[in-house]
Amino acid sequence: MTMQVMNPTESRVGAATRSMPLASYFGTLLMLALLAIVMTPVLWAVLSAFKTRSDIFAGDVWPRNWSTESFRDLLSKTLYVRWMVNSLFVAFCSTALGLFFCSLGGYAFAKFDFPGKTFLFWVVIASVSIPPFTTVIPLFGWLARLGLLDTYLVLILPFAANAFGIFLMRQYAMGVPNELLDAGRIDGCGEFRLYWSVVLPLLRPALGTVGILIFIASWNSYIWPLVMMRSDQMLTLPVGVASLKGDQLPEYGMLMAASVLSSLPIILAFFAMQRQFIAGLTQGAVK
Amino acid sequence: MTAADMLARRSPAPWRRTFRRALIPYLFLAPFFITFLAFWLGPIIASFLYSFTDWRGVLDAQFVGTANYERIYNDPRFWLALRNTAFYGLVYVTLLNVLALALALALDSTWLRFKNGLKIGFFLPVTISLVVAAVIFEMVFANGVGLLNIILGALGLPQPDWLGDPQVAIWSIIILRIWRALGYYAVIYFAGLQAIPSDVKEAARLDGCRPWQVTWYMTLPLLKPVILFGVIMSTIWALELFDEPWVLTKGGPADSTLTIVIYLYQAGFQYIELGYAAAVSYVLTFLIVVAAIVQKLLIGREQQ
Repeated sequence: MTMQVMNPTESRVGAATRSMPLASYFGTLLMLALLAIVMTPVLWAVLSAFKTRSDIFAGDVWPRNWSTESFRDLLSKTLYVRWMVNSLFVAFCSTALGLFFCSLGGYAFAKFDFPGKTFLFWVVIASVSIPPFTTVIPLFGWLARLGLLDTYLVLILPFAANAFGIFLMRQYAMGVPNELLDAGRIDGCGEFRLYWSVVLPLLRPALGTVGILIFIASWNSYIWPLVMMRSDQMLTLPVGVASLKGDQLPEYGMLMAASVLSSLPIILAFFAMQRQFIAGLTQGAVK
Repeated sequence: MTAADMLARRSPAPWRRTFRRALIPYLFLAPFFITFLAFWLGPIIASFLYSFTDWRGVLDAQFVGTANYERIYNDPRFWLALRNTAFYGLVYVTLLNVLALALALALDSTWLRFKNGLKIGFFLPVTISLVVAAVIFEMVFANGVGLLNIILGALGLPQPDWLGDPQVAIWSIIILRIWRALGYYAVIYFAGLQAIPSDVKEAARLDGCRPWQVTWYMTLPLLKPVILFGVIMSTIWALELFDEPWVLTKGGPADSTLTIVIYLYQAGFQYIELGYAAAVSYVLTFLIVVAAIVQKLLIGREQQ
């Protein structure tokens, strides 16, 4: 590269740097304004949750008198607490079971050679592209016949077999050094103990990612519990909260209180572990 | 004594040991695959077979050939659902990906401040479940008490009936969906941008390219695989639209937000015509696969 080319370029870079503060200022301001717009519905929900009925229907932006009436109604007049417990219980069970299934299976895919390996792996990957609604139809018929509708088991098991989960676990497990496994075997370590005390601790970052993936999939699922759960006591939060809407004029305050309370655990968890959260929800994107 | 000798001595019968060792990967895969077979693979295959029957859940299924598929073809309501879904999908996928890409480019730029805070802020709606997001937007779109019309009213602008007007309702769903998904796709594109080596962009800049030229001729072509992923993923989500219109409008008013999955849900779980719903689900699967292939050809072709 000659100096003739370099010189004008350098001056241009210099000009760009000089004009930076102003562009930077306005650009950042624009982005903050955009973020404010994105945040508005959430803030509106929080404000509305603390309004009295009459404040809501008066169409005021700010609550005239802050009231916890909506929250008290929600907790005393509906099965909200039960739904929250259901959702948390089911999501935790799915996550624990799913992490076990996916890490054990992913490790087998990564570190063992056996007939049928490629075929089984291909089947898992191909299943991701089938819409989940396809599975709901026959399962509804079968589970109804078996009398298994309205049970926790039905809410837990499907989420434990997460195809993305086993795929990610396999990717991670491939990085486990073979020497470590061989050393364990020579020391007389059984295969399951080898998985449990050597492989599993090494998979910890993947456990976080896949755990969040499964937890959120279970927590957010709507059509599955909507179809499979029959009684009010067995509903999960999304189905329960949506059922509060009713057919007539909705109890807006109570709906917003329910929305705020339902989102709070996940938002707090998100702020506590942003990195794992974003990874868990967007994994599979950048491979 | 070598390690192999030690291993051999430990086991009483070598063939049994070999057999057990061969069995181990299958045992390790068994918990996943038994569940996977029962709740995913089995139903996926069964659904295909049921789509050729008149199964209603209670009585045994009778084979009816392609009658279900013919009925879908002849039902104007299915075509309406398809048209709604296609219109919604086209607008949603285009707007969402353009906005997300712009947002990601801004987050990746040198001029932006508070990058991390902005990224987290834009991602926040993704952590809110679809149903709760829909319920929150009920309070944004509602007539009289809704935020949007309070603002429009204060500005003296016309206040549309966001969820009650058949012309407007689908746009309300689009706004809600973009609000909920924007941060997700922006983060995906942002990760893609970060993966592009900065010396590539630096070299172009030093060769005298203006910033927009670097973006247009270098960054975006290099980002193409991620864009393809984003477009295909958002299309799949668009074709499977159910939660938000079901919570907000139940497919109304006047079927203006009726989607294919709402149509499927009503057939399967309100009229309990499981065989027919299974056929609808396979038509949907077919549409998703076709859309993915077409997009791969359209976007992937220019890659060479």
